[in-house]
Amino acid sequence: MKQLTIDVGGTFTDCLVLEESGQLQRFKAATTPQDPTQGFFAAAGKAAAHYRQPLDRFLGGVEQIVHGTTLGTNILITERGAKVGMLTSKGFRDIVEMRRGIRNLHGSMFDLFIDPYKPLVPRYLCQTVEERTLYTGKVLNALNEEELRAKTRLLLDKGCTAVAICFLHSYANGENELKAKRIVQQMAPEVYVTASHEILPVWREFERFSTAVVSAYIGPAITRYAARLQGSLKQHGFSGRLLMMLANGLVQVVDECVDRAVYLLNSGPAAAPSAAVHLAGLHDKMVGHRIHRNLLSVDMGGTSFDVCVINNGEIPTTTDAWVGEHRVAIKMVDVPSVGAGGGSLAWIDSLGLLSVGPQSAGADPGPAAYGKSEEATVTDADLVLGYIPGDYFLGGDIQLDLKRSHEAVARVGAQLNMSTDESAQSIFTTINTVMANLITEVCTNKGHDVREFTMVAGGGGGGVHAAAIARQLSIPIVIVPRVAALMSAFGMFTMDLGLEYARSCARRQSQLDFAEIGALYADMRGQAAKDFARIGISESDLSYRATVEMRYVGQFHEVEMELPGQELNAENLATLLQNFHAKYEAMYTYSMPWRAAELLTFRLRVTAPPRPVEMAVPARATAGVEAALRGSRQCLFDGSSARVQTPAYDWERLEPGHSIRGPALVDDPTTTVLVPPGFFCEVDAYRNLVMRTE
Amino acid sequence: MSEIDPITLSTIWHSFQTLVREMRDMVSRTSQSYLMSQLRDLSVGIWLADGSTVAMPQGLLCQFIGTKHAIKAVKDYFGDDLRPGDVILTNDPYHGGNTHLPDWGFIRPIFYHGELLFFTLVRGHQQDTGGSFPGGYFPNSYDIHAEGLRIPPTKVFENDRERKDVMHLIWTNVRWPESVRVDNYAMVATTRFAEKRMHEVLDRYGKETVMACIEEMLNRTEQAMRAEIAAIPDGTYTGEAATDDDGTVLDEPVWVRVDITVNGDSLTADFSRSDAQRKGFVNCPAAAAYAIAVGSMMPLFDPALADYHNEGSLRPITVITPEGSVVNPRYPATVGAAPVNVGNQIATAVGQALSKARPNRAMAGWGKHRGCYVSAVDPRNGQPYVRTTFDYDGSAGAVTGHDGGTGPLSIGSLSTVRRGNAEEMEIRFPWRLLKWEVATDLMGAGRWRGGGGIEWRAVNEGTDGRIATGSSDGDTTQPPGAYGGYPSPCCRTFLLREGKPIRLKTHRMVEIKKGDVLVKISGGGGGVGLPTERPVELVALDVKDGMVSVQAARDIYGVAVDPRSFRVDEEETRRLRAQPQKTWDVVIDEESLEISVVPLAAG
Repeated sequence: MKQLTIDVGGTFTDCLVLEESGQLQRFKAATTPQDPTQGFFAAAGKAAAHYRQPLDRFLGGVEQIVHGTTLGTNILITERGAKVGMLTSKGFRDIVEMRRGIRNLHGSMFDLFIDPYKPLVPRYLCQTVEERTLYTGKVLNALNEEELRAKTRLLLDKGCTAVAICFLHSYANGENELKAKRIVQQMAPEVYVTASHEILPVWREFERFSTAVVSAYIGPAITRYAARLQGSLKQHGFSGRLLMMLANGLVQVVDECVDRAVYLLNSGPAAAPSAAVHLAGLHDKMVGHRIHRNLLSVDMGGTSFDVCVINNGEIPTTTDAWVGEHRVAIKMVDVPSVGAGGGSLAWIDSLGLLSVGPQSAGADPGPAAYGKSEEATVTDADLVLGYIPGDYFLGGDIQLDLKRSHEAVARVGAQLNMSTDESAQSIFTTINTVMANLITEVCTNKGHDVREFTMVAGGGGGGVHAAAIARQLSIPIVIVPRVAALMSAFGMFTMDLGLEYARSCARRQSQLDFAEIGALYADMRGQAAKDFARIGISESDLSYRATVEMRYVGQFHEVEMELPGQELNAENLATLLQNFHAKYEAMYTYSMPWRAAELLTFRLRVTAPPRPVEMAVPARATAGVEAALRGSRQCLFDGSSARVQTPAYDWERLEPGHSIRGPALVDDPTTTVLVPPGFFCEVDAYRNLVMRTE
Repeated sequence: MSEIDPITLSTIWHSFQTLVREMRDMVSRTSQSYLMSQLRDLSVGIWLADGSTVAMPQGLLCQFIGTKHAIKAVKDYFGDDLRPGDVILTNDPYHGGNTHLPDWGFIRPIFYHGELLFFTLVRGHQQDTGGSFPGGYFPNSYDIHAEGLRIPPTKVFENDRERKDVMHLIWTNVRWPESVRVDNYAMVATTRFAEKRMHEVLDRYGKETVMACIEEMLNRTEQAMRAEIAAIPDGTYTGEAATDDDGTVLDEPVWVRVDITVNGDSLTADFSRSDAQRKGFVNCPAAAAYAIAVGSMMPLFDPALADYHNEGSLRPITVITPEGSVVNPRYPATVGAAPVNVGNQIATAVGQALSKARPNRAMAGWGKHRGCYVSAVDPRNGQPYVRTTFDYDGSAGAVTGHDGGTGPLSIGSLSTVRRGNAEEMEIRFPWRLLKWEVATDLMGAGRWRGGGGIEWRAVNEGTDGRIATGSSDGDTTQPPGAYGGYPSPCCRTFLLREGKPIRLKTHRMVEIKKGDVLVKISGGGGGVGLPTERPVELVALDVKDGMVSVQAARDIYGVAVDPRSFRVDEEETRRLRAQPQKTWDVVIDEESLEISVVPLAAG
């Protein structure tokens, strides 16, 4: 049976079909923000049409769909979520609004002429109730149920459709929160209720409350969407398994997701790094040894550029994320992003310097070449430079107007005393610099040398810009996968099905009670067994990864360490501590073995493996590479004002074993790849393009 | 170098901006001091060999903008005896460039092929710096020596190796030496990281290009800054602000006064009318006064320049701080409370003066800092501790066009310091929080109102001990509003002992008992513009949200809001707003601790 992934992005909905034979088929449809299920079924419909089947028959033959969606992120960013009420501990009404005083992470301290933070729950919908739990887990004051009912009634009267219950120290004991949740559910079964410790059973109330509120804010819309999607799929003959792509890099059945809606943030971008790992692994397998240990997964779309640094095959996660102005502290795949994409606008800043982005023309009005706007974007510069085809953008679905691009780019150039061509080159270089800087920042933050990494470039715009960025950073190898423009969708084939559990319990290394920690893990395993049994997966199919967050006594930030064995005991504690000192030293250039360590949050990641992705290996080339030529374009390259006649190949007709010397272009209905002068490009066994500097 | 291409220019510039951000992150991820890590009471940056600021970093104004003076002191002392791998520690206010003793700065010269090109600095507030009491903000020291360890520029690392005897001497003279050691290593490692990154930039682009780009950026910024100053009408604008007292001579406010004269494209801030240096610990050393003065001007210039400030921004500005005044004390004056008590007044006075120059760029005063240092013993582990935090501060002042935020704190940090987390605090210190939320009406009203005032209450579950309210301010002195906006209300601190309130004034040392409840009620930010011009629907929303009472809406804003439906009585509102307006005061009752709005007493 076939497997499907569908990734609903901001602009396009991507659909990949993995056939029984291992062949991959790629489809793209426009995203329909009003009702994303339309775009979902349009993409699926294109796939069905490809197989000359009615949609019902096609979906009836699909075993599993993995689905990523920007729905949650979009709702949050565009402020279209539910009317959320918050019930919190008496005396602590403003925790989320105060945000610990933290302003925009990347804003300058000297920019004060900005609006104050607007929390998702307005103050009148944030109500306090008498209750108190201590950090030890002891309930100091039982929940005042009468008051809770009165406050809940008030929220319901004001029209709240979601309620976040956020009590102090609920990570240590969720009793009061659960009691409150049950009461609210009894009073209003139709209301979406979230208890903070169920979303994030981890200490630090601002982070936990904010995350719970975000979850409640997007929860009702996610619930409705999931119901509608499941209903429509059933109607259309689908009887397989629907899995959702989560922020933490796992997939999960849809019913498990609706109660933890916040995990659907970043649902698409979280899959791209897995694609990179998988593709690089295949490449290594073909070559016969492991050359790509360290990967930079990059994805350049219409508005944003995402980066993930994969050191030694390990996809990094973070609990430090912000989504828009809101703090979201669940563990997420660490995919930092900047506003750099095909739609990024070029402008002149107050010091007379060229800037590109972070503002974007998006899909509408889109680049000047789309005919709706006058403002120059990266896509316009790429078009002026000859890199992308005016007549074959998305396989000819969108006609680009070169003249409009020229005019827009010329206007930018006029302000810099540059010709149109120079201006286009500057826009190209500037946006590459923005992306390169993000990569450098992300890498050095983690203490890695970017030159030891292989870049795996995806997204509609990745192919044009990847080699130029790699050259700036002295990255030796760039892989542009055959599925580049649908990289997240591809990644979704490779994800583990899983859930993550956490328990906070702060103890110094000298005060550890191994039985207590063992009980925490037993509790988490028990919970996991129940959760997986519900979706028909037995305990014997599960794998566990136990980690603990550690730091030196007194510090405020933790390092996550893998437990040296199935459980922590007096024997392997020394190993854990040794590993901690070593990892700390690797991260920060020094360590302090003379200082005691403490263990704070214990985590368990429970997964069931995905169905293996067996991709078909195409036959090696028999004809020469000339057979794949589809024409040529007059291109401009770095530092030269003369245009160069540059051959353009049809990716569809390139075969394993072919190689191309830059400058050259490789066109595909979903993207274009630029092989700049000085690069040598090989077509690997899966028809991925592998570029190296010569 | 004739011409630098604009792309290289912005690339190199961006790499400096990124670097200082990363440095700040690294210190806060690795340090253990509550002040440095959680509250980010720390500063980092990059300077040229001559002390010019390359990238205006993030942090506390007083800690870094004056670093050129610290670098001069380092060079004066060591002359040519600076080498790669040196790290110099300094904190002494009387050796240039420093603030008060707890702010230790680690300075590293950065060499490239044998040539000294840059300095980098990591400065942060240490958990302890010796002296008669823990923490740093205690009044009534005999002189600067009693405030703690004075460290003139001292090499603490050579060839990237710790000078163990020197650090041993230093750590032996502070409390919690092991904790301070953890923080010091974090800071030194961060300077090493900065050096590595600077070398990478130099390797990639070449020294000539990098240095030319920096010069170009300084020049461009200077031009933009001069254009910005030229846009301010020529003239002299005055501002003033006071702290409650100097901690030794009690209940007598200490004034900072500034006359800002704009003349064409340059600007002079003259503090000559400020009070003479005081017996108490509020005096602010010259370098810190300079830093706060210029730093607090920056937000009132074009926000588009916010990311670019550097030496070029400083060139058109002259700051006059006469020796022997509270903004430039002579040895051996005490300076323990410099950043907060006089420092924040410098920022407030500068803000007030510049706001007068341009109504569309006005900023009201921010809520005062309300810190205190509690020292006692934690019965859970028998260890002594010092607890301080910014949690109980009021919030940001309004600016033209925007309400002040609830949450941002301390004008002297422009909100780069943070509040802590209640849960973290309770785990770390034997105090249980009872309340931490916005207090209704306790902010400056205005067309744009200040961010919310804060009420904070916690019970002492540790031993009896001592509380120093030295870093507290604002019981009697109020940060101003602008253009008819109300000032930040007066604050109060109490101990509830067996339910009875005992008022604690600012800048005092007081005994505290187990079971005492510490109550801090702190005014929010000041307002900008007349409250009677605030849109009626926003006033009604504030009432609905409990930020503003029905009575204050009526008396101060001239809006009649129904207490149940929160609907506005339009006709009554028209009448209220048409009548002559009284001026009101927001006061805290010292028995009931309740907040009320009363007519301002005459005079």
